[in-house]
Amino acid sequence: VPDENEVNMSRIARELQKPVRLDSSFDSRVMGAVRKLPKHSRFGLWSRLTTPRSVMVSPLSWGLAAAAVAVFAVMGTVNLAGDVSRTAAPLFSSSAKAQPQRVQFVLVAPDAKKVAVVGDFNGWDASHAAYQAQHRGGGVWSVTAPVPLGHHRYSFVVDDSLWMPDPTAPRATDNDFGVANSAIVVSNQE
Amino acid sequence: VIVARVLRGDVEVFRVLVERYRDRYARYAIHMLGNREDAEEALQDAFTRAYRSLARCEDPERFGAWLFRILINRCRTMGARRGRRARTFVVDEGALLEAAVEHPADRGAWREEIDRALDRLRPEQREAFLLKYVEELGYDEMSRLTGVGVSALKMRVMRACDRLRELLSEVQSA
Repeated sequence: VPDENEVNMSRIARELQKPVRLDSSFDSRVMGAVRKLPKHSRFGLWSRLTTPRSVMVSPLSWGLAAAAVAVFAVMGTVNLAGDVSRTAAPLFSSSAKAQPQRVQFVLVAPDAKKVAVVGDFNGWDASHAAYQAQHRGGGVWSVTAPVPLGHHRYSFVVDDSLWMPDPTAPRATDNDFGVANSAIVVSNQE
Repeated sequence: VIVARVLRGDVEVFRVLVERYRDRYARYAIHMLGNREDAEEALQDAFTRAYRSLARCEDPERFGAWLFRILINRCRTMGARRGRRARTFVVDEGALLEAAVEHPADRGAWREEIDRALDRLRPEQREAFLLKYVEELGYDEMSRLTGVGVSALKMRVMRACDRLRELLSEVQSA
Protein backbone atom coordinates (compact mmCIF):
# COMPACT_ATOMS: atom_id res chain seq x y z
CA VAL A 1 0.00 0.00 0.00
CA PRO A 2 1.63 3.24 -1.07
CA ASP A 3 2.21 5.80 1.59
CA GLU A 4 -0.27 8.58 0.93
CA ASN A 5 2.41 11.07 1.84
CA GLU A 6 4.85 9.65 -0.64
CA VAL A 7 5.51 12.09 -3.43
CA ASN A 8 4.21 10.72 -6.69
CA MET A 9 6.55 11.31 -9.62
CA SER A 10 3.70 10.98 -12.10
CA ARG A 11 1.85 13.77 -10.36
CA ILE A 12 4.91 15.99 -10.62
CA ALA A 13 5.35 15.08 -14.26
CA ARG A 14 1.72 15.90 -15.05
CA GLU A 15 2.18 19.30 -13.51
CA LEU A 16 5.31 19.96 -15.53
CA GLN A 17 3.76 18.64 -18.74
CA LYS A 18 1.22 21.42 -18.82
CA PRO A 19 1.60 23.28 -22.08
CA VAL A 20 3.66 26.39 -22.45
CA ARG A 21 2.75 28.79 -25.19
CA LEU A 22 4.99 31.37 -26.76
CA ASP A 23 3.35 34.13 -28.75
CA SER A 24 3.95 34.88 -32.39
CA SER A 25 6.48 37.58 -31.55
CA PHE A 26 8.89 34.74 -30.82
CA ASP A 27 8.44 33.43 -34.37
CA SER A 28 9.07 36.90 -35.72
CA ARG A 29 12.27 37.24 -33.74
CA VAL A 30 13.55 33.87 -34.97
CA MET A 31 12.62 34.61 -38.56
CA GLY A 32 14.23 38.04 -38.30
CA ALA A 33 17.46 36.43 -37.15
CA VAL A 34 17.26 33.75 -39.82
CA ARG A 35 16.68 36.24 -42.63
CA LYS A 36 19.94 37.94 -41.72
CA LEU A 37 21.80 34.71 -42.40
CA PRO A 38 22.82 33.71 -45.91
CA LYS A 39 20.17 31.80 -47.81
CA HIS A 40 20.75 28.16 -48.36
CA SER A 41 21.52 27.15 -51.87
CA ARG A 42 22.56 23.74 -53.03
CA PHE A 43 25.51 25.10 -54.95
CA GLY A 44 26.06 28.37 -53.18
CA LEU A 45 28.93 29.61 -51.11
CA TRP A 46 27.01 28.97 -47.90
CA SER A 47 26.63 25.28 -48.71
CA ARG A 48 30.27 24.99 -49.64
CA LEU A 49 31.31 26.60 -46.39
CA THR A 50 29.07 24.45 -44.24
CA THR A 51 29.52 21.12 -45.96
CA PRO A 52 32.28 18.88 -44.61
CA ARG A 53 35.17 18.54 -46.97
CA SER A 54 36.97 15.34 -47.76
CA VAL A 55 40.60 15.08 -46.75
CA MET A 56 42.36 12.13 -48.26
CA VAL A 57 45.03 10.59 -46.10
CA SER A 58 47.67 8.74 -48.04
CA PRO A 59 50.19 6.30 -46.54
CA LEU A 60 52.89 8.90 -47.12
CA SER A 61 51.04 11.38 -44.97
CA TRP A 62 50.74 8.96 -42.07
CA GLY A 63 54.30 9.69 -41.13
CA LEU A 64 53.59 13.41 -41.22
CA ALA A 65 50.47 12.88 -39.14
CA ALA A 66 52.42 10.85 -36.61
CA ALA A 67 55.04 13.58 -36.44
CA ALA A 68 52.31 16.16 -35.90
CA VAL A 69 50.90 14.05 -33.09
CA ALA A 70 54.27 13.97 -31.40
CA VAL A 71 54.69 17.73 -31.72
CA PHE A 72 51.21 18.45 -30.43
CA ALA A 73 51.63 15.97 -27.61
CA VAL A 74 54.72 17.79 -26.39
CA MET A 75 53.18 21.22 -26.87
CA GLY A 76 50.00 20.18 -25.18
CA THR A 77 51.77 18.75 -22.19
CA VAL A 78 53.93 21.84 -21.79
CA ASN A 79 51.30 24.48 -22.43
CA LEU A 80 48.34 22.97 -20.72
CA ALA A 81 49.92 21.29 -17.72
CA GLY A 82 47.91 21.72 -14.58
CA ASP A 83 44.67 21.98 -16.39
CA VAL A 84 42.78 19.26 -18.13
CA SER A 85 45.04 19.42 -21.10
CA ARG A 86 44.31 17.46 -24.13
CA THR A 87 46.20 16.37 -27.11
CA ALA A 88 45.03 13.97 -29.66
CA ALA A 89 45.03 13.12 -33.27
CA PRO A 90 43.61 10.26 -35.20
CA LEU A 91 46.14 7.91 -36.67
CA PHE A 92 44.99 6.06 -39.69
CA SER A 93 45.88 2.56 -40.54
CA SER A 94 44.95 0.54 -43.51
CA SER A 95 42.63 -2.38 -43.60
CA ALA A 96 40.57 -4.16 -46.17
CA LYS A 97 38.73 -1.94 -48.58
CA ALA A 98 35.27 -0.77 -47.38
CA GLN A 99 35.96 -2.02 -43.88
CA PRO A 100 35.85 0.35 -40.93
CA GLN A 101 39.29 1.73 -40.25
CA ARG A 102 41.05 1.41 -36.94
CA VAL A 103 41.56 4.91 -35.61
CA GLN A 104 43.62 5.79 -32.59
CA PHE A 105 42.33 8.62 -30.43
CA VAL A 106 44.72 10.14 -27.92
CA LEU A 107 44.02 12.66 -25.21
CA VAL A 108 46.28 14.11 -22.56
CA ALA A 109 44.15 14.65 -19.49
CA PRO A 110 46.21 14.28 -16.30
CA ASP A 111 43.29 14.88 -13.95
CA ALA A 112 40.78 12.67 -15.71
CA LYS A 113 39.41 9.54 -14.13
CA LYS A 114 37.64 8.39 -17.27
CA VAL A 115 37.88 9.30 -20.93
CA ALA A 116 35.63 8.14 -23.73
CA VAL A 117 35.25 9.00 -27.38
CA VAL A 118 31.82 9.89 -28.69
CA GLY A 119 30.86 10.60 -32.25
CA ASP A 120 28.29 10.03 -34.88
CA PHE A 121 29.94 6.63 -35.47
CA ASN A 122 28.87 5.35 -32.03
CA GLY A 123 25.63 7.23 -31.57
CA TRP A 124 27.36 9.76 -29.26
CA ASP A 125 27.26 7.09 -26.61
CA ALA A 126 29.85 7.76 -23.94
CA SER A 127 29.27 4.34 -22.43
CA HIS A 128 30.06 2.41 -25.63
CA ALA A 129 32.55 -0.26 -24.55
CA ALA A 130 34.70 -0.09 -27.68
CA TYR A 131 35.39 3.62 -27.28
CA GLN A 132 36.57 3.76 -23.68
CA ALA A 133 40.11 5.12 -23.54
CA GLN A 134 42.70 3.49 -21.32
CA HIS A 135 45.16 5.43 -19.22
CA ARG A 136 48.64 4.80 -20.65
CA GLY A 137 50.50 6.68 -17.95
CA GLY A 138 51.55 10.29 -17.65
CA GLY A 139 48.02 11.53 -18.16
CA VAL A 140 47.87 10.07 -21.65
CA TRP A 141 44.66 8.30 -22.57
CA SER A 142 44.14 6.42 -25.78
CA VAL A 143 41.85 4.02 -27.53
CA THR A 144 41.99 2.45 -30.94
CA ALA A 145 38.53 1.82 -32.27
CA PRO A 146 36.79 1.14 -35.57
CA VAL A 147 35.38 4.07 -37.50
CA PRO A 148 33.46 3.58 -40.73
CA LEU A 149 34.62 5.23 -43.91
CA GLY A 150 33.37 8.74 -44.46
CA HIS A 151 33.01 12.06 -42.72
CA HIS A 152 32.49 12.03 -38.99
CA ARG A 153 32.25 14.37 -36.04
CA TYR A 154 33.48 13.36 -32.65
CA SER A 155 34.55 14.61 -29.28
CA PHE A 156 36.07 13.39 -26.05
CA VAL A 157 34.00 13.03 -22.90
CA VAL A 158 35.99 13.30 -19.69
CA ASP A 159 34.55 11.91 -16.46
CA ASP A 160 31.14 11.47 -18.09
CA SER A 161 30.51 15.18 -18.08
CA LEU A 162 33.12 17.36 -19.75
CA TRP A 163 33.00 17.44 -23.54
CA MET A 164 36.08 18.59 -25.32
CA PRO A 165 37.07 18.61 -28.97
CA ASP A 166 40.30 17.12 -30.17
CA PRO A 167 42.73 20.07 -30.34
CA THR A 168 44.90 18.43 -32.96
CA ALA A 169 42.10 17.59 -35.34
CA PRO A 170 40.15 20.01 -37.53
CA ARG A 171 37.10 21.47 -35.89
CA ALA A 172 33.75 20.60 -37.28
CA THR A 173 32.35 23.63 -39.04
CA ASP A 174 29.87 24.33 -36.29
CA ASN A 175 29.45 23.98 -32.59
CA ASP A 176 25.72 23.63 -32.76
CA PHE A 177 25.54 21.13 -29.99
CA GLY A 178 26.83 23.57 -27.43
CA VAL A 179 30.37 22.33 -27.63
CA ALA A 180 32.72 22.30 -30.53
CA ASN A 181 33.25 18.95 -32.18
CA SER A 182 36.18 17.67 -34.15
CA ALA A 183 36.01 16.51 -37.72
CA ILE A 184 37.52 13.38 -39.14
CA VAL A 185 37.47 11.86 -42.58
CA VAL A 186 38.22 8.19 -42.84
CA SER A 187 38.96 6.94 -46.30
CA ASN A 188 40.34 3.85 -47.96
CA GLN A 189 44.00 3.79 -48.76
CA GLU A 190 45.35 2.16 -51.85
CA VAL B 1 9.92 18.30 -47.51
CA ILE B 2 10.10 21.46 -45.41
CA VAL B 3 13.78 21.01 -44.71
CA ALA B 4 14.42 20.40 -48.40
CA ARG B 5 12.57 23.58 -49.34
CA VAL B 6 14.59 25.65 -46.87
CA LEU B 7 17.76 24.14 -48.27
CA ARG B 8 16.68 25.20 -51.74
CA GLY B 9 16.56 28.78 -50.50
CA ASP B 10 12.96 29.19 -49.34
CA VAL B 11 13.73 30.90 -46.04
CA GLU B 12 10.14 31.70 -45.11
CA VAL B 13 9.18 28.02 -44.92
CA PHE B 14 11.45 27.74 -41.89
CA ARG B 15 8.65 29.43 -39.95
CA VAL B 16 6.65 26.20 -40.21
CA LEU B 17 9.36 24.41 -38.25
CA VAL B 18 9.47 27.19 -35.69
CA GLU B 19 5.72 26.99 -35.13
CA ARG B 20 5.78 23.21 -34.94
CA TYR B 21 8.46 22.84 -32.27
CA ARG B 22 8.32 26.19 -30.47
CA ASP B 23 5.98 25.46 -27.59
CA ARG B 24 7.09 21.94 -26.70
CA TYR B 25 10.74 22.86 -26.64
CA ALA B 26 10.05 26.13 -24.85
CA ARG B 27 8.58 24.06 -22.03
CA TYR B 28 11.78 22.06 -21.69
CA ALA B 29 13.96 25.18 -21.78
CA ILE B 30 11.86 26.98 -19.18
CA HIS B 31 12.01 24.02 -16.80
CA MET B 32 15.71 23.61 -17.42
CA LEU B 33 16.75 27.25 -17.11
CA GLY B 34 14.11 28.36 -14.65
CA ASN B 35 12.87 31.46 -16.40
CA ARG B 36 11.17 32.38 -19.62
CA GLU B 37 13.64 35.04 -20.73
CA ASP B 38 16.64 32.73 -20.79
CA ALA B 39 14.54 29.93 -22.22
CA GLU B 40 13.39 32.03 -25.17
CA GLU B 41 16.95 33.13 -25.81
CA ALA B 42 18.22 29.54 -25.76
CA LEU B 43 15.42 28.39 -28.04
CA GLN B 44 15.93 31.23 -30.50
CA ASP B 45 19.62 30.44 -30.52
CA ALA B 46 18.86 26.77 -31.18
CA PHE B 47 16.59 27.62 -34.11
CA THR B 48 19.11 29.95 -35.75
CA ARG B 49 21.91 27.43 -35.29
CA ALA B 50 19.70 24.74 -36.74
CA TYR B 51 18.99 26.93 -39.76
CA ARG B 52 22.67 27.66 -40.28
CA SER B 53 23.61 23.99 -40.09
CA LEU B 54 20.58 22.59 -41.85
CA ALA B 55 22.66 21.16 -44.67
CA ARG B 56 24.20 18.80 -42.14
CA CYS B 57 20.94 17.53 -40.71
CA GLU B 58 21.59 13.96 -41.76
CA ASP B 59 18.01 12.79 -41.36
CA PRO B 60 15.52 15.57 -42.18
CA GLU B 61 12.70 13.27 -41.03
CA ARG B 62 14.12 13.60 -37.53
CA PHE B 63 14.65 17.34 -37.63
CA GLY B 64 12.79 17.68 -34.34
CA ALA B 65 15.14 15.36 -32.48
CA TRP B 66 18.13 17.06 -34.06
CA LEU B 67 16.83 20.48 -33.00
CA PHE B 68 16.13 19.19 -29.51
CA ARG B 69 19.68 18.02 -29.18
CA ILE B 70 20.93 21.47 -30.14
CA LEU B 71 18.59 23.01 -27.58
CA ILE B 72 19.71 20.66 -24.81
CA ASN B 73 23.26 21.76 -25.35
CA ARG B 74 22.33 25.42 -25.56
CA CYS B 75 20.59 25.05 -22.21
CA ARG B 76 23.67 23.40 -20.75
CA THR B 77 25.90 26.17 -22.02
CA MET B 78 23.59 28.96 -20.94
CA GLY B 79 22.95 27.38 -17.56
CA ALA B 80 26.64 26.98 -16.90
CA ARG B 81 27.42 30.53 -18.03
CA ARG B 82 24.75 32.41 -16.18
CA GLY B 83 23.66 30.27 -13.32
CA ARG B 84 19.97 30.21 -12.72
CA ARG B 85 18.12 33.45 -12.41
CA ALA B 86 15.12 33.81 -10.22
CA ARG B 87 12.58 31.26 -11.31
CA THR B 88 9.46 32.69 -12.82
CA PHE B 89 6.54 30.41 -12.56
CA VAL B 90 4.56 29.37 -15.56
CA VAL B 91 1.05 28.48 -14.64
CA ASP B 92 -1.56 27.59 -17.22
CA GLU B 93 -4.68 29.18 -15.83
CA GLY B 94 -6.98 27.27 -18.17
CA ALA B 95 -5.62 23.93 -17.07
CA LEU B 96 -5.96 24.97 -13.46
CA LEU B 97 -9.62 25.73 -13.86
CA GLU B 98 -10.34 22.51 -15.73
CA ALA B 99 -8.75 20.35 -13.10
CA ALA B 100 -10.65 21.66 -10.12
CA VAL B 101 -9.83 18.74 -7.86
CA GLU B 102 -8.18 21.05 -5.42
CA HIS B 103 -8.57 24.70 -4.79
CA PRO B 104 -6.69 26.59 -7.52
CA ALA B 105 -4.69 28.42 -4.91
CA ASP B 106 -3.49 25.11 -3.47
CA ARG B 107 -2.57 23.89 -6.91
CA GLY B 108 -0.64 27.06 -7.63
CA ALA B 109 1.28 26.63 -4.40
CA TRP B 110 2.01 23.00 -5.23
CA ARG B 111 3.35 24.05 -8.62
CA GLU B 112 5.56 26.63 -7.00
CA GLU B 113 6.98 23.98 -4.70
CA ILE B 114 7.70 21.71 -7.67
CA ASP B 115 9.49 24.52 -9.47
CA ARG B 116 11.46 25.33 -6.36
CA ALA B 117 12.47 21.71 -5.88
CA LEU B 118 13.41 21.40 -9.55
CA ASP B 119 15.55 24.46 -9.15
CA ARG B 120 17.49 22.76 -6.37
CA LEU B 121 18.45 19.72 -8.41
CA ARG B 122 21.88 19.52 -9.95
CA PRO B 123 21.63 20.54 -13.63
CA GLU B 124 22.50 17.08 -14.96
CA GLN B 125 19.89 15.50 -12.69
CA ARG B 126 17.28 18.07 -13.70
CA GLU B 127 18.05 17.44 -17.35
CA ALA B 128 17.72 13.66 -16.98
CA PHE B 129 14.51 13.94 -14.94
CA LEU B 130 12.86 16.27 -17.44
CA LEU B 131 13.76 14.10 -20.39
CA LYS B 132 12.51 10.95 -18.71
CA TYR B 133 9.40 12.08 -16.86
CA VAL B 134 8.25 15.21 -18.65
CA GLU B 135 9.33 14.52 -22.21
CA GLU B 136 8.73 10.80 -21.64
CA LEU B 137 11.72 9.65 -23.63
CA GLY B 138 13.29 6.22 -23.43
CA TYR B 139 16.81 5.87 -22.12
CA ASP B 140 18.24 5.03 -25.54
CA GLU B 141 16.82 8.21 -27.03
CA MET B 142 17.98 10.19 -24.01
CA SER B 143 21.46 8.80 -24.51
CA ARG B 144 21.48 9.80 -28.17
CA LEU B 145 20.33 13.30 -27.30
CA THR B 146 22.67 13.93 -24.40
CA GLY B 147 25.74 11.88 -25.27
CA VAL B 148 25.57 10.35 -21.81
CA GLY B 149 25.48 6.60 -21.28
CA VAL B 150 22.28 4.83 -20.31
CA SER B 151 23.54 3.64 -16.94
CA ALA B 152 24.68 7.14 -15.99
CA LEU B 153 21.32 8.54 -17.06
CA LYS B 154 19.44 5.99 -14.97
CA MET B 155 21.52 6.95 -11.98
CA ARG B 156 20.80 10.64 -12.55
CA VAL B 157 17.07 10.04 -12.85
CA MET B 158 17.04 7.93 -9.71
CA ARG B 159 18.92 10.57 -7.74
CA ALA B 160 16.69 13.31 -9.09
CA CYS B 161 13.59 11.40 -7.99
CA ASP B 162 15.05 10.75 -4.55
CA ARG B 163 15.89 14.41 -4.14
CA LEU B 164 12.49 15.58 -5.34
CA ARG B 165 10.75 13.18 -2.95
CA GLU B 166 12.88 14.45 -0.14
CA LEU B 167 12.24 18.12 -0.92
CA LEU B 168 8.53 17.78 -1.65
CA SER B 169 7.63 15.40 1.14
CA GLU B 170 8.77 18.08 3.56
CA VAL B 171 6.25 20.40 1.94
CA GLN B 172 3.46 17.84 1.96
CA SER B 173 3.92 16.94 5.59
CA ALA B 174 4.20 20.60 6.65
